[in-house]
Amino acid sequence: MSPAIETTNLTRDFGKFRAVNQLNLRVEAGRFYGFLGPNGAGKSTTIKMFTGLLAPSGGSMRILGEDLSDPRRALEVKRRIGVVPENLALFDNLTAREHLTFIGRMYLLPPATIRARCDELLAMMDLAHEEKKLTLEFSHGMKKKLALAAALIPNPDLLFLDEPFEGVDAVASRVLRDTLKQCVGRGATVFLTSHVLEIVEKLCSDVGIIARGELVHQGTMEELRRDGSSLEDKFLAVVGNGEAEAQKLSWLEA
Amino acid sequence: MNWEQLKTILWLRWRLTRNQWARSGGLGAVIAAVVAVSMFVLGGVSFAGALLGGIFGLGEAKPPVIMGIWFGVTVAFLFLWLIGLLNELQRSESIDLQRLMHLPVALGQMFVMNYLVSHLALSIVLFVPAMMGLGLGLVISRGPAMLWLIPLALGMVFMITAWTYCLRGWLATLMSNPRRRRTVIMGITAAFILLAQAPNLYFNVILRFGRPTPGATSAEARRQRDANKSFNQEKFNQLVAAQKFIPPLWLPVGARALAEGRVLPAWLGTLGCFALGALGLRRAYRSTLRFYHGESGGKAAAQIKTVATPTATIPTPAKAGTRFLELRLPAVPEQAAALALATFRSMLRAPEVKMAWGTSFLVTLILGCSLLFRTAPKLPEAVKPFIATGAVAFSIFMLVQFLANQFGFDREGFRALILSPADRRLILIGKNLACLPVSAGFGVLLLTVITVWLHLSLSVLLAALFQLVALLLLVGLVGNLLSILVPYRIQHGSMKPTKMPGLAMLVMMVCQMIFPVAMIPAFVPPLAGLLWEKAGWPDAVPVNLLLSIALAGVAGLAYWQMLAPLGRLLQRRETKILGVVTVEVE
Repeated sequence: MSPAIETTNLTRDFGKFRAVNQLNLRVEAGRFYGFLGPNGAGKSTTIKMFTGLLAPSGGSMRILGEDLSDPRRALEVKRRIGVVPENLALFDNLTAREHLTFIGRMYLLPPATIRARCDELLAMMDLAHEEKKLTLEFSHGMKKKLALAAALIPNPDLLFLDEPFEGVDAVASRVLRDTLKQCVGRGATVFLTSHVLEIVEKLCSDVGIIARGELVHQGTMEELRRDGSSLEDKFLAVVGNGEAEAQKLSWLEA
Repeated sequence: MNWEQLKTILWLRWRLTRNQWARSGGLGAVIAAVVAVSMFVLGGVSFAGALLGGIFGLGEAKPPVIMGIWFGVTVAFLFLWLIGLLNELQRSESIDLQRLMHLPVALGQMFVMNYLVSHLALSIVLFVPAMMGLGLGLVISRGPAMLWLIPLALGMVFMITAWTYCLRGWLATLMSNPRRRRTVIMGITAAFILLAQAPNLYFNVILRFGRPTPGATSAEARRQRDANKSFNQEKFNQLVAAQKFIPPLWLPVGARALAEGRVLPAWLGTLGCFALGALGLRRAYRSTLRFYHGESGGKAAAQIKTVATPTATIPTPAKAGTRFLELRLPAVPEQAAALALATFRSMLRAPEVKMAWGTSFLVTLILGCSLLFRTAPKLPEAVKPFIATGAVAFSIFMLVQFLANQFGFDREGFRALILSPADRRLILIGKNLACLPVSAGFGVLLLTVITVWLHLSLSVLLAALFQLVALLLLVGLVGNLLSILVPYRIQHGSMKPTKMPGLAMLVMMVCQMIFPVAMIPAFVPPLAGLLWEKAGWPDAVPVNLLLSIALAGVAGLAYWQMLAPLGRLLQRRETKILGVVTVEVE
């Protein structure tokens, strides 16, 4: 079985700044992968490259066994993935149901399936009572929930979620976690980034940590637990918290 | 606010501007500098021109003439000011007060600073120096009493800018509800268009009934002309009397009074203008504070309902809006149809698009009314096909900004298109189809008007309809190319492109200027028909119609053939387009 995601020396430059540096990542199919890193480490840039929102400057990658740089194969890959990008991807002037209907049709789902899934997703995300609101009137959390629903509607084999729990209320967050577990349970792969280490620790089977554009750790949660350390310990150890601890605010010390 | 804080605020404003320039590249900075220098020069020229005019042209002029000139200046200033207002309906603060409210600075002073910066508008740069020049010129040529014109003119400008500032603040409060915002924008646009077209309607529709009847005897015609003359004089007198009750027109009233040697009206006008202006500014400040303190949304807040969390999934029947998005378009691939319907629905709800389409529709309607109320001119038959083709081209031209920038209105939504698995050819077809109802609708509307007005023959009408089809295809093709190569982001709620690199802006402007070239082929069939007729060949051959059908066929073929390469080009450039249409601007 080919891995869901495989990269070789994947690199992305913005002018002189290297956001992602020779990333070699391998995510097996059917795994729940948590991608961690401090702010500005390159997490979102990496997800953007995986989903075709950003072209790599160097290296190669295969998503679901296909090369995204081949335009024909790229569309095939997109049929099988669902994405919640960093800045979402919503049309301002559509309602939630309209947006989901549109996405469903773009994935060539039958009309009856679209309706049924819309109903379920809107209820699950607690958006069913906001039928008349346009997405531009949504709060950030509501937008995030709609983007999640849009990612789930095609029932994808691979889900890319950039900070899916940020701004989402506790109820929806719980429902979402259960849904993602269900997805993985039926064989799908989930690749998510998050700042909340506890969520990643609870949900993910695998974890990768990126810092300053480089992959500094990759392994399973089992391996981590065997070492007897928590994810937070590991994160701080590989990302480096020594400097932060050493720096004190002089005027608070007195 | 102390001096250090003021310096910091000025520094902040400068840094924001400088960073914007830096982001728009070297060319952008050059363009900004050229615009700044041009405005300075324009102000100088208008001052000098008005000064010379006042000295040498109006020294001996009668008071009504002086009043007429000031009336013209005032109306022109108001018109240009109104265009500026329409261009930027909501107040865009030079320095956002909301970001400073938690800091220890006096908001009142910040407010005044923002108000002063709002004066950097073309209407002010052009007309205030002109008013000053004209006033000084009249002082030199007619005596020091005319000096009152300077404070009177400044008072009028102050009054207009203060109330405009107040209006913009009120609109900002009103538009904090994004839905209400659309209605406001549409309403104001429609009001502006009707206002701008009022003279056209008045002269071409209402006054038309007072013109001598064609075929009347010379005595009757003279009697009608005399009656009209006295009617017009009466109207003029009424207009002059009405000026006293319209504050912005106190300036021409004051100018006339000063020219007649009466100072009191000008003095009262000045006081009145400054008092009204101060009232407007005070109101603007208070409403601004209320807005930022969140005290203006009482009604909206009261309407928030507590909604129970649904406990079970109950399938609901599709709402009307969703049913529209579920429509299947005959012979159109599923993904193209989905995109066409979603884009069309989205555009119908977008204030900026409604504003632009509403403008086009109203202009067409007013133009049509003006034409229909006139008797059909005795045009040679040979010219009529060109007029029909021109109408078709005109209807398409009004939509250039949509067709040439089809992804700019998607903004964040364009990301959904990139992520979608749809063939990029279908995305282009979907986008073109979304504009079709409006572009074809305008074309057919205009053709109907022209047909009724000029009594077009069936052959010419059919030829024009085929030309419309051909143009839609050709313009769609060129529009697709431009949308892919030079996209630009359109700000939500306006038709203005957001700031972009200077070179991109230049390319975009040049491309849109040469866009009408795509319409030239439509004029080939009527031209060929004319040449055929001039050559004296048989009239029975409808050359215009036949060539129009052929043109539509060729355009269809070209569109189809170019679809695949354009689709590939879109796929290659989609991440670049995304970068452009999703960039947020400060």
